[in-house]
Amino acid sequence: MGLAAISETASLLLLGIGLVFWFWGTWPLLETSSYARKLHALSVADTLGSALMLLGLLLRIPRQWPLLTLGLLALMLWNTIFGYVLATCSQPRRRPTGLSRNPQEEPR
Amino acid sequence: MRRLLPLLLSTSFRLLLWCLLTADLSRLNLLIGVAVALALPRARSRPLPLRELLRALWLSLVAVPRAYGEALRLMVASDLEERMVREPVTDRTIPLLMFLDVFRITLTPFTIALGLEPDGQHYRVHALLPRRQTLRPPAEETP
Amino acid sequence: MTVLLWGMVLALVIPIAVACRQQDVWHRLAAFSSIASKVALIILVVSVVRSDWMLGLVGVIVLSAGNAGMLLLANLLREER
Repeated sequence: MGLAAISETASLLLLGIGLVFWFWGTWPLLETSSYARKLHALSVADTLGSALMLLGLLLRIPRQWPLLTLGLLALMLWNTIFGYVLATCSQPRRRPTGLSRNPQEEPR
Repeated sequence: MRRLLPLLLSTSFRLLLWCLLTADLSRLNLLIGVAVALALPRARSRPLPLRELLRALWLSLVAVPRAYGEALRLMVASDLEERMVREPVTDRTIPLLMFLDVFRITLTPFTIALGLEPDGQHYRVHALLPRRQTLRPPAEETP
Repeated sequence: MTVLLWGMVLALVIPIAVACRQQDVWHRLAAFSSIASKVALIILVVSVVRSDWMLGLVGVIVLSAGNAGMLLLANLLREER
């Protein structure tokens, strides 16, 4: 009985933390901050928060672990790569000529 | 061995996905999985250096707990600054290694890869850091 | 569990509102990707609440198909500009 109760509590805890991540990471979308900052926050919310929630569900239904593991793997890969693609594609196209040394590379 | 490694890697990855998807380890199902994994078209790939690959895999595994640590620090930090930093590329000629690099950089909430510098040897990385804190030295150098 | 589900739906409303309000296409794409993964997770949680694993299967498939289409769309949009 003890083990079941512990896993129940842990799963609720994980789901709750994931939800907190979701809210924290999605809220900046409503504000007017820079685009990249929103993407940073979204990576917290959608990748890390959702992964926590999947772990919580995994504790709840351990019988279905293969599919849930597949979901976890796919979630991590897709969301991360999509964040990268969004960040890259929203940049203005850079010609690989070498004369576009932008000044903002130096730490301020 | 080095020539065989890409084939082995892609096949085993597909087999893993198949087994996870069907959740069935009987012999017939494994056989079907191997057949499907071999029948799907493969990208042409050059020989993979095993040690580099293992190190990249290990680094991207380690990046997961580090990402959680950084997420927590990002949540408590109030004063953030954005800047561009550069990070060296592991090996430009091998797509898998570059993929793992980009995955590792973008997974952690402090940094997002934005593509290559014009010189082709560094990534442009957009970093979001708590103020008055220097970025850790990058975990690897170009050989 | 029900409270959690309501919280998730509430979190889902935020990107939907952003996607309806924003004009900039990149912000909308980011909001849509957020919607996609949130909906998949909600499907999974609903499947656990109702203990109906068929729904969960759908959620897993949605997750693993991911937003491949949006990835293509982002690349196309970059070519456009």
